Amino acid sequence: MTDNSVPYTRIDVCNRSLETVRHSRNLGMEVLSAEESGVRVRMPWREDLVGNPDTGVLHGGAIFAMMDQAGGMANSCRLYPNFEITPTIDFRVDHLHAPTPGKAVICQASCYRLTTHVTFVRLTTWEEGMEDGEPVATGLATYTRMKLDKNGRVTS
Amino acid sequence: MNNSLKALIEACRAGEADYQDLIDRVPYARFLGIELRVQGEELTFILPRNPENIGNPTLPALHGGAVAGFMEQAAIIFILLEMGEPRVPKTIDFTIDYLRAGLFRDTFAECRITRLGRRIANVHISAWQKRRDEPITIARAHFLLSEENN
Repeated sequence: MTDNSVPYTRIDVCNRSLETVRHSRNLGMEVLSAEESGVRVRMPWREDLVGNPDTGVLHGGAIFAMMDQAGGMANSCRLYPNFEITPTIDFRVDHLHAPTPGKAVICQASCYRLTTHVTFVRLTTWEEGMEDGEPVATGLATYTRMKLDKNGRVTS
Repeated sequence: MNNSLKALIEACRAGEADYQDLIDRVPYARFLGIELRVQGEELTFILPRNPENIGNPTLPALHGGAVAGFMEQAAIIFILLEMGEPRVPKTIDFTIDYLRAGLFRDTFAECRITRLGRRIANVHISAWQKRRDEPITIARAHFLLSEENN
């Protein structure tokens, strides 16, 4: 649903967070779509993100970092138009199979439950072009909600 | 298994090569800027304070993903160096608890192998900044120990 009284969209919020989070920018992440039900992001294959130089497979840590960021943006999409900081409480990622070297990865993250203090997020990552097939990784995470006042200070 | 990696691991274990050469062989480890300090037989991994790894610019705080990647890579290097035969482990799963904010300062990590099976290793990783007994994150991961030809 679109609320025309809010001067920014969910995708604006997500892009803004990518602009400010230097490490995620360094990963080359981009937002493909942002809805209340979830966000879809892309991370390119890049030589400097490789974990095993013999195979050229992306490092699990790079995939993790991308998914953690995607989860945070899924929270922002669910909380929109309000803005909160949502630090990660815990995060589990299962690496189902290795993505093909040279292929970008796509992550879909959804906040499926929002409580007063906690958000619950599930995430799926595929190789680009294989979004209808077997995921390369799945994730499950919780985040805590830190509400901000008009000056951007944490209130709770 | 790449023979140059195997030779490098053996040289590290024999004290004939710098452990840092092993870390620098992994592009993502260089991307994060991971370092390794050896004291006696203890390995301490270091993620030096680096603005490239910042997540929250206002605090400023480290990106949780950078800390997680650091810990995962620390565990991989730890397994390579601790095992009798060098085999490249593949991450099966990685689970992390964030206990404190990662401040914009050096981060340290140590690993403990909880169980080293024939095919699967269970590793506990702890990361801290100020004091070892005040971890900022703890993680648990399972690794598949590849066969020689993988």
